[in-house]
Amino acid sequence: MASFDGKTISHIHHELHSLLPPEPALRTKALESLLAEKQLIDPAAVDAWIEMYRDEIGPKRGAAVVARAWSDPAFKARLLDDGTAAIDEFGFAGHATGHLQAVENSREVHNLVVCTLCSCYPFSLLGLSPSWYKSNEYRARAVRDPRGVLKEFGVELEEKTQVRVWDSTSERRYLVVPERPKGVEDWDEAALAKLVTRNSMIGMERDLSPERDKA
Amino acid sequence: MDGVHDLGGREGFGPILDKDDDKPFHADWETRAFGIKQSSAAATSWTIDWFRYCRELAGPVDYLTRPYFDQWLTTLAAQMVDEGYLTLDEVKTGASSFAPNPSRSPQSSQAARASVNDPRSFAVSVNAPPRFALGATVRCRLDGGSGHTRLPGYVRGRAGEIHTHHGGHVLADASARGEKRGEHLYTVGFASADLWPEAKGSADRVFVDLWESYLEPA
Repeated sequence: MASFDGKTISHIHHELHSLLPPEPALRTKALESLLAEKQLIDPAAVDAWIEMYRDEIGPKRGAAVVARAWSDPAFKARLLDDGTAAIDEFGFAGHATGHLQAVENSREVHNLVVCTLCSCYPFSLLGLSPSWYKSNEYRARAVRDPRGVLKEFGVELEEKTQVRVWDSTSERRYLVVPERPKGVEDWDEAALAKLVTRNSMIGMERDLSPERDKA
Repeated sequence: MDGVHDLGGREGFGPILDKDDDKPFHADWETRAFGIKQSSAAATSWTIDWFRYCRELAGPVDYLTRPYFDQWLTTLAAQMVDEGYLTLDEVKTGASSFAPNPSRSPQSSQAARASVNDPRSFAVSVNAPPRFALGATVRCRLDGGSGHTRLPGYVRGRAGEIHTHHGGHVLADASARGEKRGEHLYTVGFASADLWPEAKGSADRVFVDLWESYLEPA
């Protein structure tokens, strides 16, 4: 039976700290071989998770969803109304996206997403989160100094643009729908999707115009 | 609990590094630690909230300095020791001394693939009507309690406005104690100016998902 007791777990962590090797790779190796010997893991399932999140599931999924939202107003309305149902039209609903909320950028509003208490992220839609998203620095600063953080990412906001920070404290997850850039009115969804970056769907990039890197 | 994991608004942190890094993993051991945590045997009473609580208890220095997936794996090991599936002596010697009988078997590769495609719902029906109406002003409790909670320190005692009501969701605080209980969940909008002294005059807002028992009428 789980103790559900903080002091007990704290004590176990303390013991593990001194019993396990000090280097993460060796620590992982030691635990993996022990758990495998005790049949507490199936190596084929471990491999399956790695393959899925290394090779198959990533921000291209989110980019396809955003490109459709840009191209199809009825889809965008569905996405903003019920994110999980909308991404399920692509077969992307799943791991950590059971309660997906899409939030839309506009000239007046810029949205960004953080998880100050851990690292919640819509995995089945955007893949594993980038290391900066999980960093102490981002988690501490995004709610308090969002404009300063955005500046570090190269986003200069006008003073009158309102920043909305979404702190993912429940099982609800957020997707930022960036603004469709100008000058791509006749582009198809596949071409539009190539403009959509992972950082823009977390709210850390704003200008997705094709010329942005040449400016 | 009032731990170092509650990072929102803490000052003195430096610049954000590796902003363009787009690799999901950076070392082989990271892939293994991730895959093990996602697929291992478990007890049926374990919840995502019990896992988060156990990670928060890793000790402040380890929490802030050890690599991310390393923390996942050592937290899983702590849960397994606590549950009795693994002993500290086995960790010390590296050799198994008994075959545990976990209440949830490790995933097969097929089950792993199925779970990625399962948009699990945390909605639970709650009989009581919601206490707060949309647009109502609420104030967050000052006390987060010493167990697991999803009431961040930076909103405690602060007033905000009910932005959305999501119906009943599994209450994280109870779930971390092994109890499945639903409670009304709201998104509460706060004026940045009400949270941070340096945001005076700003129209920026911070939105936080908060359960009903975290809130009182303001």
